[in-house]
Amino acid sequence: MAIAEQKLTSTAPTTSESFQWRSWLATVDHKKIGIIYIISAFVFFIIGGIEAMLMRVQLGTPNNTFLSADLYNQLFTMHATTMVFLVVMPMNVGIGNYVVPLMIGARDMAFPRLNAFSVWLFLGGGFLLYLSFLTGGATNVGWFAYAPLTQTQFSPGQGVDYWILGLGLTGVASIAGALNFIVTVLNMRAPGMTINRMPLFVWMNLVVSFILIFAFPTFTVASIQLLFDRQFGAAFFNPALGGDAVLWQHLFWFFGHPEVYILILPVMGMISEVLPVYSRKPIFGYSFVAFSGVGIGFLGFIVWAHHMFGTGMGPLANGFFAAASMVIAIPTGVKIFNWIATMWGGDVRLTTAMLYAIGFISMFIIGGISGITLASPPIDLQQTDSYYVVAHFHYVLFGGSILGLFAGAFYWFPKMTGRMLNEMLGKVQFWLMLISMNVTFFPMHFLGTEGMPRRIYTYESGMGWEMWNFIETIGTFFLAFSVLLFIYNVLVSLRSGEVASNDPWDAATLEWVVPSPPPSYNFLHIPQVTSRRPLWDAKYPHSTADDHHGEKSAPSQIRYEYSHEDSPGAKEIHMPTLTYMPMVLSSGLTVAALGFIYINQAILGLPMRVASYVFIAIGFVMVFYAIRGWVLDSRRDSPYLGHH
Amino acid sequence: MRKDARQKVMLAMVMAGITMVLAGCANLPATTMYTYGDHATRILDLLMVVFWMAVAVFVVVQGALVYTVVRFRNKQETTALPKQIHGNTKIEIAWTIAPAIVVLIIAVLTFRTQAANSVMPPEAIKIRSIAHQWWFEFQYFNQDGVSLSTPIVVDEQNQPTITTATDLYVPVGVPITIQLDAADVMHNFWIPKIAGKTYMIPGKSNYLTFTVQEPGIYKAFCAEFCGEAHAQMHFRLIALPQAEYDSWKVNVAKIPASAAGTVQVLGLTGDAARGAALFADAKKQCASCHVIAGTDAKGKIGPNLTYLGSRTALGGAILPYSVDNLAKWLQDSSAIKQGNLMGRVIKKGTLTDQEVADLTAYLDSMKLSVALPAEK
Repeated sequence: MAIAEQKLTSTAPTTSESFQWRSWLATVDHKKIGIIYIISAFVFFIIGGIEAMLMRVQLGTPNNTFLSADLYNQLFTMHATTMVFLVVMPMNVGIGNYVVPLMIGARDMAFPRLNAFSVWLFLGGGFLLYLSFLTGGATNVGWFAYAPLTQTQFSPGQGVDYWILGLGLTGVASIAGALNFIVTVLNMRAPGMTINRMPLFVWMNLVVSFILIFAFPTFTVASIQLLFDRQFGAAFFNPALGGDAVLWQHLFWFFGHPEVYILILPVMGMISEVLPVYSRKPIFGYSFVAFSGVGIGFLGFIVWAHHMFGTGMGPLANGFFAAASMVIAIPTGVKIFNWIATMWGGDVRLTTAMLYAIGFISMFIIGGISGITLASPPIDLQQTDSYYVVAHFHYVLFGGSILGLFAGAFYWFPKMTGRMLNEMLGKVQFWLMLISMNVTFFPMHFLGTEGMPRRIYTYESGMGWEMWNFIETIGTFFLAFSVLLFIYNVLVSLRSGEVASNDPWDAATLEWVVPSPPPSYNFLHIPQVTSRRPLWDAKYPHSTADDHHGEKSAPSQIRYEYSHEDSPGAKEIHMPTLTYMPMVLSSGLTVAALGFIYINQAILGLPMRVASYVFIAIGFVMVFYAIRGWVLDSRRDSPYLGHH
Repeated sequence: MRKDARQKVMLAMVMAGITMVLAGCANLPATTMYTYGDHATRILDLLMVVFWMAVAVFVVVQGALVYTVVRFRNKQETTALPKQIHGNTKIEIAWTIAPAIVVLIIAVLTFRTQAANSVMPPEAIKIRSIAHQWWFEFQYFNQDGVSLSTPIVVDEQNQPTITTATDLYVPVGVPITIQLDAADVMHNFWIPKIAGKTYMIPGKSNYLTFTVQEPGIYKAFCAEFCGEAHAQMHFRLIALPQAEYDSWKVNVAKIPASAAGTVQVLGLTGDAARGAALFADAKKQCASCHVIAGTDAKGKIGPNLTYLGSRTALGGAILPYSVDNLAKWLQDSSAIKQGNLMGRVIKKGTLTDQEVADLTAYLDSMKLSVALPAEK
């Protein structure tokens, strides 16, 4: 492998006009945007983890006074909000952003500026959510925010308003991002890459993007209704004024359940990339894996009320939602069986990424099985709102999403940075994390069946809950240590890790054709795709003979690219210019949102009200300035080299 | 030597396993695995069937995963490419049908249990529970005027004959339907050993029917997050044999005898008569939130305190009842239960220790004689 040759490649700016920080703040490169997402999500992962550890310390012993009730309530609300909206979602989006255009042989996303707008707006939303800790307390009503506890008479501070507007911004960012993914995947695939040849990670990103644009608006509208309840005395969810408290639950979970699949499907896509590569085989049952993902996406929309079996919907409605929820076990089972079959007969290489992928399957089996028990309304009525549910979704979201994301991290880190992560450290981290996550989360099953309710900041002694709670708390410290090991691994590997070639894993998809890290334009020559595994088939031309789809593909002409930015071909590539406007636009919306939080807080008096109008005005000036600049900047687009 | 070490590890794992099993099966105060009510028992029966099916699925799938990894892992750096198999439609169909059969069985069993647990027999005793931030209120009615299928409307004609809090008294062996309401935010009614959860929703009545099979005092919680003191919103179900329940019902509806007697608390002598006067004193604000039958205290914000001396627990069932705990609560309830509404008005130091002692004597003087069953 021509590692020396590959080292010539560099993404460092090539003109004096762009120095380092500008190349990040004004970037429209999907790879840099992906990395901003990934780093931000990882920082939020640390913050959410610290919140979790504070809660575990409080619960480690009965009658503990380490945290006050109110602070505990803020922490569990923000822990969930952070992990769902600021960690797993943006981490998926970040990796998708980086990898999807490369996988489909494209030079960028379809709308690079919109992509930059999304990442900055997501950060604006995260900023607002965390600002609330400094302005009188974060939201303390749970991430599900059940009405009417969210009404001002029960939650008088601004925490809930920060939550609504913070998530409102991340919601807009997510919808814009999802539209971008859909257009990119549908329009920008390399010639020959039919839908039926797309890598499964691309498939899952496409499915999730559709779920997102159907699910997220429901939540955005409901939360704006809630904002109207709080700020202007509307009564959508306030029974005291004739509103309906259960309506909020329907709207929230109509978004909230598909959200679960938004969190897990991209990770399932990653697993479907990682397993074949380290088994040195194609994925088993490509169409079944792809369409079971589509099936889960559809079914995800008709199961929302299984979160509400206890609300008195009646046995008929409960029966319907129970049956629909159980049906999801079928496509999920199909995926698991296909993953196992992918390894069957393979040459399984237990790299760190592979260990994480196998760990994902193993833990997801546990989370899936406990999910079946919860889909049964009678059983659910005992286990819901108890620690059993906490165990269930941590197996799905930690054992599933987080372990899967680590698989993706170890798999794509060489591509993103040009350096390999340390395998030895990675394996130690894997086993430590796997064991400590089970120590932390498995006893929650016992606590739930032993009657420990969720969301309690303290419990009395003598309930028989002491031992498991203490063990769980110990587990979190080991879990935290395993995350620290990963950080150490990243920092060391970035400096002195083994240099990565184009294709260090002997992989099959197009991102491994280009140098690690890829040049800003990705591909010097857009590849001509003739099969599902374009790179593999180029390397092993005789291995696809038994393709049971009967696709008699022409021999693949794909070659590794070792180009660097000064090569004559690169000068001809048209790429969008750097622009600050997406960031200014996002910042303007964030400033305006901050103003809206205080627009009708009579209790705070006139000065606060005036300040809120000033913020809104400044925000909108920034928005209009940015839109104007955006349009003008677009007209300056020109060939790649002059404007990077 | 290595064999010894391995045996020790094995022994430790077996011991750990046994501990886990024992902990899972112990009859803990709030476990759902030892049930004394038909609703929870039917759920447990269903759970056990599903549990063993889940264990079977777990063993098969997890076993297949581990076996595959162990069998096909790369032992030395080989260069031969494994056979490139893309799939097999027959196998796909088989493993689509297999989970479908499993969930079909679970669904059928589920619907049977659900149907049994949804029945509201017409002869059931109907009791209304209203959840407040952060305590449970219970109202009993003259059963003649109470229909099972419609919400109880409390008006001038239909007043509860008994209003109490924290302790829910029911007879054993007969079906009981609780009408579940909420005064402020959403709450959730959960007696783990007796019945599954049902939401208590402002503006919407829900119903839960169960039969308690054995006399006992059962732990119960609010299971839905309902604000600052959610963790400390409990109640107790006190199931009595029919005859004792009947006599409790007659006695608790009577107006308490006029306050008399003393108690020793906080190193002081509390006087019930002085306490009664303090309670009625508008400046002390007790009567603006609490009701005591037969007095002018008619506040509706806090729990009805008639026969408080017979309660088994205080403060939303977070403290066992005793004169010492009652005095502690009156001195500084916020220290015991953060966020509770009384603590916003009656702060530490609002009442002198002598006043606390007198009030304690008064509230403790209102007692019934009930033969309490054991805590289950």
